[in-house]
Amino acid sequence: MLHLPTNNTLLEATLIELNEAWLNNAPLVVDRIVSDFDHTTLHLLTPDNENRQWVYLSIVLMTWSSLCKCSNEEFLLRYIQSKFDKYNNDSDNSNIIEILPKNQTVQGYNLTLRLDISKLNNQSITDLSLLKTHIMSYPFQLSFQKFNQLSAMEVAPSNDAVSTYRMQYREDENIYIQPSNDRITVIFETIFNDETDKIFSKVFLQEFVDSRKRNRSIQSAPQVLFSNTPPREIINITTNQNKDVDSKFITFVLFPRHFSNDEIQFKTICKLLQFRHYFHYHIKCSKAFMHSRMRFRVNNFIKVLNRAKFDSNDDEENGTSSGQLDDKRRTITGRKLVY
Amino acid sequence: MSQSLRPYLTAVRHSLEAALTLSNFSSQEVERHNRPEIEVPIQSAELLLQPMHISRNEHEQVLIEPSVNSVRVNIMVKQADEIEQILVHKFTRFLEQRAEAFYILRRVPIKGYSISFLITNKHTESMKNGKLIDFIIEFMEEVDKEISEMKLFLNARARFVAEEYLSEFVY
Repeated sequence: MLHLPTNNTLLEATLIELNEAWLNNAPLVVDRIVSDFDHTTLHLLTPDNENRQWVYLSIVLMTWSSLCKCSNEEFLLRYIQSKFDKYNNDSDNSNIIEILPKNQTVQGYNLTLRLDISKLNNQSITDLSLLKTHIMSYPFQLSFQKFNQLSAMEVAPSNDAVSTYRMQYREDENIYIQPSNDRITVIFETIFNDETDKIFSKVFLQEFVDSRKRNRSIQSAPQVLFSNTPPREIINITTNQNKDVDSKFITFVLFPRHFSNDEIQFKTICKLLQFRHYFHYHIKCSKAFMHSRMRFRVNNFIKVLNRAKFDSNDDEENGTSSGQLDDKRRTITGRKLVY
Repeated sequence: MSQSLRPYLTAVRHSLEAALTLSNFSSQEVERHNRPEIEVPIQSAELLLQPMHISRNEHEQVLIEPSVNSVRVNIMVKQADEIEQILVHKFTRFLEQRAEAFYILRRVPIKGYSISFLITNKHTESMKNGKLIDFIIEFMEEVDKEISEMKLFLNARARFVAEEYLSEFVY
């Protein structure tokens, strides 16, 4: 499993299960909590036992408040709804996927979607399982719009006019997205708690930076830069003034070819949002591999050491080996002699 | 094996052969105690022998501390950079956690060394001296090999992972 899946498999499976149960005329009541990366929790709930057609899908994200700051919450909600509008057919009044108004949101969650289980299809289920990606793609989408504006300008805008979107996706870890007139810069700020992870990450990050230069076939991938200090683009807005936290900054420079159409945009967003998971996951994998390797090596060493032991055969041959002699030497009361 | 490694290991082998002449020796301090004299807190000079220090370079050294009934062998494993440091640390800790399977392994290395062995007269009585020395020499050879292989593996994996990730962006 080299690449992690973008969508939430458990969410997908649950929705399929619910949909099938409905189609078999045995609708289920559901109350299931599904976790995702980056302190994200999803909750599926049947609000009304009598009317099992409706299911509430709620989500809480760590990054929600920072997403709202990118523009405002109303636009964000509208954006999320727009992702699912294609499934709501106009013929009947009740929408299949609809965001509930703020006062009806399930308590403790940022957002609640009301789903019509009876009318879901494969396509919409897949899209719903990508809910987190859809929500987190918002600042990227804003950047793409901003990029289009900026690139249309004749004079390159000064750096101050350029806005930067910040997503705080974990405590002390942020993603900064900065559109400019010829590129979009995405900067990941990440920290490593474990001493070993820190050193392994250096090796991995170095390879991320170098591999593009070395391998010609991936020349068109975004340029990757890595530094221990905040890059110039975000030096004014980094929130971590705390010197104890040694953050690493990984910069991806996206060129227009990486967001030339909607499909490519979405692929790029998915990949970028996965960067941290992918990266950390492979560090853990290498540690696990080393562990099994050391286990194997230790067994080898033990074999070599056991070769040094006197076999039982050897002892019989020379019966006067020191071990046996000791056993024979007893005091008159039968106690063993101790030197 | 590189040119300079062979004489180094030969020197260690001969020194160990010379040091592994242990005999049973009861404690002079405490009655009915029999303990490795090299490890006791109050050491008496007549029970300790001259320590032997074999050094290939500043990163690779062996200190053999013989006494009348025990020998302590301390090995410093080569650590060229941060990654090797971490790998050596992880590897030796892994071994030390399994010390009971190794009989002669000391749970904690002495200061300044990566790993320590403690061979007592009990061990030389139940194991063949020659094979014990073989084990230590093989250990020294293998550890270096293992560490550099792990480092290569880590680099290779990092490269592969990075290229795989970035190749997803090639449209």
